[in-house]
Amino acid sequence: MLFQIDFKAGKPVYRQLMDQIRYAAAAGALRPGEPLPSIRPLAEELRLNRNTIAKAYAELESQGIIEILPGKGCFLKENGTPFTKGIRQKLLLSEIDEAVVTAHHLQVDREAFLAMVKERLDYFERKAAATHDENSKTSPRRTP
Amino acid sequence: MSRAAIEIRGLTRRYGKTEAVNGLNLTVRAGGCYGFFGRNGAGKTTTIKCLLNLLRPDAGTLRVFGLDPQKDEVAVKSRLSYVPDAVAFYPWMSVRDTLDYFASFRAHWNPAIETDLLRRFGLDPSQKAGALSKGQRTQLALITAVCPEPELLILDEPTSGLDPIVRREFIETVIGAYQSGDTENRTVFVSTHLISEFEGLIDEFTILEQGRELLAMPADDARERFKKIRVRFAAAPGRLDLAGALRVQQTGREAEILANGNSERLLEALRAKQPQELRCESLSLEEIFVSSKILTQANP
Repeated sequence: MLFQIDFKAGKPVYRQLMDQIRYAAAAGALRPGEPLPSIRPLAEELRLNRNTIAKAYAELESQGIIEILPGKGCFLKENGTPFTKGIRQKLLLSEIDEAVVTAHHLQVDREAFLAMVKERLDYFERKAAATHDENSKTSPRRTP
Repeated sequence: MSRAAIEIRGLTRRYGKTEAVNGLNLTVRAGGCYGFFGRNGAGKTTTIKCLLNLLRPDAGTLRVFGLDPQKDEVAVKSRLSYVPDAVAFYPWMSVRDTLDYFASFRAHWNPAIETDLLRRFGLDPSQKAGALSKGQRTQLALITAVCPEPELLILDEPTSGLDPIVRREFIETVIGAYQSGDTENRTVFVSTHLISEFEGLIDEFTILEQGRELLAMPADDARERFKKIRVRFAAAPGRLDLAGALRVQQTGREAEILANGNSERLLEALRAKQPQELRCESLSLEEIFVSSKILTQANP
């Protein structure tokens, strides 16, 4: 998977990596059992401190999103997140708030905003379905 | 609390009446990558020379791995490597001879890293060191610094004067060949002007100003704290009166505001003025360095 780091985003770099991995998992760009890039080549490619990447992976592991198998690498976990529904919704809330504030600045009104959210949900569903179809057509399902 | 690779307390070094370093304090955590930023003449190289016992401090204490570089010079130097800004080798020696010469001073030398880096840089082992370009000399210096796999890598303006491709390879080598080894015991201390190139690598930094630390903090914290707000109004707002802003620069309908840990409050104050556009971004380490004098003023 490809990463994009923005030092001006106001978000720590390890958080950016975490969010992009979560985004890739939600979009189907990264499927359960698929390996994440190894730390060293990724650090070289992004010219990031390897500790930053190790920290992102360690946090994702503690959140139950990936698993780190010593000597094998890091893999997206089958069962997603172990958080309870309440905690998951709370985590999402701050991101929604951010989008709401941005919408306000850009003078996107309530109806248009909600329509866009729906449109994006549909988009990700279509995309996940498409990659799943492609996967089952071209290659037998991979086991982690 | 993790171990310190470098600990400097009240370091002072004068040249005649000029105080090159004037009461500097600095702690470099083991296993991190530490940026040492300052303008020309701020005292960076003098500090590094004191760490290497190439200069004697007039006052203050220095510890490298908890040892005094003056008293335990060999013990300290055997555990670190140094790449200066201007690298010189014996011109009559070939690249191969030079590497063997450097290896002869070291208890440990990793031949696999040597082979890998020679190939990566495309250096010809039979070439005379005197015929190498500036970029190739720096690459050779980096090989001699990384092969002993030291606990501490001290880089003094390592990439200045190099072309962008060599600079990139240099940084990738520091990350890949050096930092990926025994990570708990790989510390990088880099003094540089090319801050943006090292931005992703640096996890803590000190900005040096007239021989003393002006600002020292973790990079993520700094980017979180120092922000630049850009705002545009439908009509020129008159003079913006923003309590707590470090600096307000206004041109017509637009303004740029520097915030020190109070961007949320400033954004709220600006939002109340119904702007057309309001954006907030972190300062990069380079911008933090350039504006460090303004940033270190107390909030008014």
